[in-house]
Amino acid sequence: MGNTATEHPASGSLTATEHRLDNGLRLVLSEDHLTPVAAVCLWYDVGSRQEVKGRTGLAHLFEHLMFQGSAQVTGNGHFELIQGAGGSLNGTTSFERTNYFETMPAHQLELALWLEADRMGSLLAALDEESMANQRDVVKNERRQRYDNVPYGTAFERMVALAYPVGHPYHHIPIGSMADLDAATLADARAFFRANYAPNNAVLAIVGDIDPDQTLAWVEKYFGSIPSYEGKLPPRDGTLPDIIGQELREEIHEEVPARALMAAYRMPHDGTRECDAAEVALTVLGDGMASRLYNRLVRRDRTAIGAGFGLLRLAGAPSLGWLDVKASGGAEIPQIETAVDEELARLGAEPPAAEEMERAQALLEREWLERLGTVAGRAGELCRFAVLFGDPQLAFTAVHRILDITAEEVRAVAAARLRPDNRAVLVYEPVPPHDPAGDPASGTDEDEQEGAGQ
Amino acid sequence: MTDATVTMDFHPLPASGKAKPWAFPAPERGALANGLTVLRCHRPGQQVVAVEICLDTPLDAEPEGLDGIETIMVNALSQGTGQRSAEEFAAELERCGATLDAGADYMGARLSLEVPLSRLPRALGLLTEALHEPAFADSEVERLVRNRLDGIPIELANPGRRAAKQLSQELFPASARMSRPRRGTEETVARIDAAGVRAFYAAHVRPGTATAVVVGDLAGIDLDEVLDGTLGGWTGDSAGPLPVPPVTGDDTGRVVIVDRPGAVQTQLLIGRLGPDRHDRGWPALVLGTYCLGGTLTSRLDRVLREEKGYTYGVRAFEQVLRSPAPDEGTGASVLAISGSVDTASTGPALADLWTVLRTLAVAGLTDAERDLAVQNLVGVAPLQFETAASVAGTLADQVEQHLPDDYQAQLYARLAETGTAEAAAAVVAAFPENRLVTILVGDAAQIKAPVEALGVGEVKVVGG
Repeated sequence: MGNTATEHPASGSLTATEHRLDNGLRLVLSEDHLTPVAAVCLWYDVGSRQEVKGRTGLAHLFEHLMFQGSAQVTGNGHFELIQGAGGSLNGTTSFERTNYFETMPAHQLELALWLEADRMGSLLAALDEESMANQRDVVKNERRQRYDNVPYGTAFERMVALAYPVGHPYHHIPIGSMADLDAATLADARAFFRANYAPNNAVLAIVGDIDPDQTLAWVEKYFGSIPSYEGKLPPRDGTLPDIIGQELREEIHEEVPARALMAAYRMPHDGTRECDAAEVALTVLGDGMASRLYNRLVRRDRTAIGAGFGLLRLAGAPSLGWLDVKASGGAEIPQIETAVDEELARLGAEPPAAEEMERAQALLEREWLERLGTVAGRAGELCRFAVLFGDPQLAFTAVHRILDITAEEVRAVAAARLRPDNRAVLVYEPVPPHDPAGDPASGTDEDEQEGAGQ
Repeated sequence: MTDATVTMDFHPLPASGKAKPWAFPAPERGALANGLTVLRCHRPGQQVVAVEICLDTPLDAEPEGLDGIETIMVNALSQGTGQRSAEEFAAELERCGATLDAGADYMGARLSLEVPLSRLPRALGLLTEALHEPAFADSEVERLVRNRLDGIPIELANPGRRAAKQLSQELFPASARMSRPRRGTEETVARIDAAGVRAFYAAHVRPGTATAVVVGDLAGIDLDEVLDGTLGGWTGDSAGPLPVPPVTGDDTGRVVIVDRPGAVQTQLLIGRLGPDRHDRGWPALVLGTYCLGGTLTSRLDRVLREEKGYTYGVRAFEQVLRSPAPDEGTGASVLAISGSVDTASTGPALADLWTVLRTLAVAGLTDAERDLAVQNLVGVAPLQFETAASVAGTLADQVEQHLPDDYQAQLYARLAETGTAEAAAAVVAAFPENRLVTILVGDAAQIKAPVEALGVGEVKVVGG
């Protein structure tokens, strides 16, 4: 496609070099001297997919424990030192990653490396029952705040549980269940660290106003003596058929402010051309204020308050296309669902018009410009492509692959995947505010996992 | 801990290198022939350009009983123009790869455009159409009104939003616009129609009282030419700034529980009135507030999160609500502490929170805390302002708050020269233990008694 925003879209002048220490730690360096800042991203190849039955939430709880000190860092020292140096920091846990990142004023880069190395090499010297008990409570409150105490807050959890079968490594979301968080022990945490937090299971990306030789020397100095570990178990197999084969459906009667129709479609794996085509397809259908679903449901039919369709890219299992429609006023779900099905079928039958491709690809291109426009965003993408696909350089060409997708490929992936027999549907029907009679009487579903929430 | 075999080589904590100079960018100020003020700022490498249009129309300008009309009006600007329908406009804008957000706040309204550099002229052309010749078709305004009416209950179901609404209602007299939601209530929004929106637009939207902020890698384009061909074509009559009434507030210490039977957490929002950024004590307030609740190693989270595990995080902050030029009245902000705690821990968490405030009032801050706060607040500036959007947002805030263009740049110098005692005095004065309005969104049956026992004021329960 010729409609690119810049001559060298999104990645024109960006380069990166790759290195590997003897202990297996992979390092990616990318120079950019426009602003005196440097981003560090340390991405461990472990996520909630490594968790076992009865221990959901362990990877994320463990991420919290990484901020509780290590051999040379006491208490909240990691936070205090980074913030005191004018840096910002955090960590995230997802299905197939746990990453830690610091963005620093360039002259404070060495501190971030020293801190990351200290906890990679010596976390167990500091990990104790007290911090485990405390962070368990913090994470339970995180779960309440982000999932249990907000309307539709558990929709994602329910949808994932429907879309990936029981026993599948992606059947549960990273936050985990309250019961499993309670059950996690210090021994579990220690074992998790030993298995997954080794230099040969991580990629370190450093991006920004750096001196590559000096940076490489620091990485050798601080990380070089940390022993590798060969005993990591590979993640359980996430292979599933391309198509679910039937519509899975759950109706929730809950105290929510509006009816909602949500659906998860099984989509191609991240890293494939079909996945890029799927992203363009979902953008045509459900991203922005001029998408097909927005125009149909919000502007014309006026049955919805909002309509979105997003892609959760996954490499170790089928990706997830997530439709989210909140109903307007008295609009009924069947009416909305019929309209959605018509729009999906239409895209499967006929390639989108050139103007629609231009719109979708321009939006996705801007997203890539934004993602690669900060040193932290660039470090994250370099790590992601290095860990999941073995090649960090793919980050710089990702936008080309999106712009290369044709209208016919969009049609083909829509026809293959956006079908009623390939989705898990979640319907929300509101019940009156705290009507004790409402809860049991409405019970078409036997989902009790949210008992604590009601 | 015996099995924690550590085999790595340890090295001492490294010293920092030599800091490289960085300053908050100084914008270049000018005006177009039509009276539109323009602030521009070149940020090398920033391929996504950010444009902010500030309309100097405070919510006080809304007609009686039509709260929310300014929000509907700024959103309706992009729902069809003299040249294209709402659908065509949205599609054309998105073919530029652009996003356009609009909103109205107590101090004024804002349109925020982000677009890749090469498509800036095209997107500015569309923005000009929206500002200059909006269609305000009956059916589009009706749709926005209905959409807003649908949105209100969804917003209020969120405990944080519900708490904010209650705090405004408690702090300000009912006659003040600030006591009521920015985007109106179901009652007022239902009265809004296209005729009203057209009249509001005609009365208040004109280039002479607006400012455009443009930030990005502007080296390769002739911005003057681009602006002349786009926003320069926006015409309108002239008008002076609107006078706004002074702000008064009632911060008598008290507690309001918004009842949510069965809620697993209590959302807390504890606040009172404060000054605006023109106040000489602002840097000390920022510093002191950071020490109280700026991060997870601040006073509040050190106890509530990292010691007790009652919360995922509690923050203290300031939010400016009114900020006239210094010779045109006094400004106001809300100073607040917010977060959520599990239902069973509500009483103990609030008790600890008040203990933190009392301890602070008695013993002040340490030099180490003050130093850490300064190092963070000043040190993160180059990170915080890496993108064009973040720079444009702050410049637009300065415009909206009638602050000088070098305000942010100067703030860093002021923070660095603020002492420990000054910061402590400012935060203690900001959060006096007996003059705080506490809003709790949670299960009244479970939290009312423990909260009453704290003795931080009368406890009232209202419907959820």
